[in-house]
Amino acid sequence: MSKQEVELSKRVMIVDDALFMRTMLRDIFEVAGWQVVVEAETGAEAIEEYKIHQPDLVTMDIVMPEMGGIDALTKILREYPAARIVVCSALSQKDLILDAINVGAKDFIVKPFQNAQVLEVVNRVVAGCS
Amino acid sequence: MDTVKFREMFLAEAAEHLELMAEILLQLDSDPEDQDGIDALFREAHSIKGMAATMEHVETARLAHHLEDRLDDCRQLGWISGGDIDWLLEAVDLLELLLDDIRNEQPERSVENLIASIPKEPVIEVSTTVEEKTADPAMTGEGVLIQLQLQETVIAPGPRFLILLKRLADFGTILESIPTMEALLQGEDPDHLLIRLDAEISQEQIYQQLQQYSEIREITFPVATAEEKPHKKKSPGKMVRVSTELLDHLINLTGELITNRYQMQNGVKEHNWQAVDDGVGQLARLVKNLHHQVLQVRMVSLESLAGRLSRTVHDLSRSSGKEIFFKVEGTEIELDRAIVEELTDPLIHMVRNAVDHGVERRGTVSVKAWRERDQVLIQVADDGRGIDPETIRHQALEKGLLSPAQAKSIRDYDLFQLICQPGFSTVEEISEISGRGVGMDVVKTAVERVGGILLIDSVPGEGARITLKVPLSLAIIRVLIVECAGTRMAMPIARVVQTVEVAPEEVQSSGKQLMIHYQDELLPMLSLRKILKTAKGSHLDPIPVVITEVQGRKIGLVVDQLVGQREVFVQRLPAPFDQVRGCSGGTILGDGQIIFLLDLQSLFERPRG
Repeated sequence: MSKQEVELSKRVMIVDDALFMRTMLRDIFEVAGWQVVVEAETGAEAIEEYKIHQPDLVTMDIVMPEMGGIDALTKILREYPAARIVVCSALSQKDLILDAINVGAKDFIVKPFQNAQVLEVVNRVVAGCS
Repeated sequence: MDTVKFREMFLAEAAEHLELMAEILLQLDSDPEDQDGIDALFREAHSIKGMAATMEHVETARLAHHLEDRLDDCRQLGWISGGDIDWLLEAVDLLELLLDDIRNEQPERSVENLIASIPKEPVIEVSTTVEEKTADPAMTGEGVLIQLQLQETVIAPGPRFLILLKRLADFGTILESIPTMEALLQGEDPDHLLIRLDAEISQEQIYQQLQQYSEIREITFPVATAEEKPHKKKSPGKMVRVSTELLDHLINLTGELITNRYQMQNGVKEHNWQAVDDGVGQLARLVKNLHHQVLQVRMVSLESLAGRLSRTVHDLSRSSGKEIFFKVEGTEIELDRAIVEELTDPLIHMVRNAVDHGVERRGTVSVKAWRERDQVLIQVADDGRGIDPETIRHQALEKGLLSPAQAKSIRDYDLFQLICQPGFSTVEEISEISGRGVGMDVVKTAVERVGGILLIDSVPGEGARITLKVPLSLAIIRVLIVECAGTRMAMPIARVVQTVEVAPEEVQSSGKQLMIHYQDELLPMLSLRKILKTAKGSHLDPIPVVITEVQGRKIGLVVDQLVGQREVFVQRLPAPFDQVRGCSGGTILGDGQIIFLLDLQSLFERPRG
């Protein structure tokens, strides 16, 4: 990352099959001054878009049709080991959260989202992984 | 800074231990065979040693270690000698100084001399040597022990601990953890996580990093030797311990406030003014309750102060050879910590005065605290020779503080107040005669700074009583709001004797000075406009007057208008405005208006220097 880029707002990709969740996350990020570079609806889309945009952070829903979040996460990390991916999930999917952390998710957010909690997690992840 | 925070924690806790030690030592002085007391002392010294060693404060740890050793001897012997008590008290003093050094980020002073002066008896065979004992295995164990506890609100503790464990792995090598990473991956949801980490960064840096996780409730670096403290006491330092019960109350109140907000929002939306009105009533109740609870956080008991006072008496009676019976009552009374801090030195001073000059060869000095509505009274009394009003009268005449006529008519109460005048007496002149006046101006200034007053009462031959009357809390006080030259200002109600309205024909003049009758006294009438050097006002009828006290004398203060009383939250003014004479703070009224707190006292003082 060049020095100039550090000054810019952080770039995030939102991956979720539900429009409602994407909109909500977009709102949280934009209010906090982040730039949502792209949204993806499926795991496969996420992998393609990651290659193009290489965002500072990805929020990834775990349960999605076709390719799930954990698969997409694994594939992205295989090619980009430094990718910062935060998974989103409902509490009932604790095992999936654990799996995601095991394969390299940097952190997780539990639905229903609370703005402050989301921002704390993503800021920490972006700041922490030097 | 978090490093500072860490140090503060150590300092506050160590200070608590020391305070407790001094207290126990004084108890042991009268009951040297109290086994529980000796045991407790030993544990205190041990805790200090453990903490100081962890923080790498070598000298502090070394001295604490010697204390511990000595107390271990006493423990085996079953009693503690007077010589030991004196030495241990000295050691406690030195430890306090060492804490000062650490606080001021100075190198710790040497403890060599004190260690060399350990009294010879009691002779007892101790099989261990110093070096063996310092090698406490748990303190020098490999790696850092870190224990984490999550907030109760964290929804998925297992995954959260897993993330934290992974994060900690970035700071070094995880030697072991309970539960293990595997167990966490299997879905275990523990209530805390214990990690032994071979860290590449300092403990403080780890602490800082972990602080970014609001999900964590508590981060501790346990040392295997650390034990539960036997006594829980409030710290006199800047750290505040809050009971979880109190926090729960605060959280509940916050919840109610949120409900209240919705109630009012709905009322506004639906134009249901009755609902809004109810909401405001509810809000007033909630805020009052909240105020009460938050105030609790600032409250400390006088217990810690009592320890220091009995220490003062103990030392003085040893050095002067006087036999002093010291009595303390009402230590459970709680006061705003800022007030306790402000009053500590003055009270020590007063007790010292009572021992030095009040009591002759033997006698009683007592400190008593009690509450009267929203004020606390602290009284220092002795049964010594008392203050002789004739001596004061004589001195005041000589110094020109009173005219011969005044000297004749002045009441004893007002006469005694004169000893608080700066420069009324010097040590040489008065200590032999009345024994008072030494630094009483300092005491009075401190009391007035916290919005209190000082009362002196004495009967020759029966002793003296000095009473401090102070508000419970500094932050929120009741004020009288007055208007003068178009500006509203506030006076603490504690300083107002009464408000009266005087008809112009009631005003008398005595030379240039206008006077009014108040009860059976004639008081000088001063105009606030004149004091504040603003333009002269128009004639008022009746004239609003605030009867108040300045430098121990009642005056009638003429204002333009008496507006009313109110409870306000007083804030200190930021620098450089805190230097403005005559103004001791400010407050914002409900309508956004800023009002300054009038400090008459400072307006009448001569500028310093």
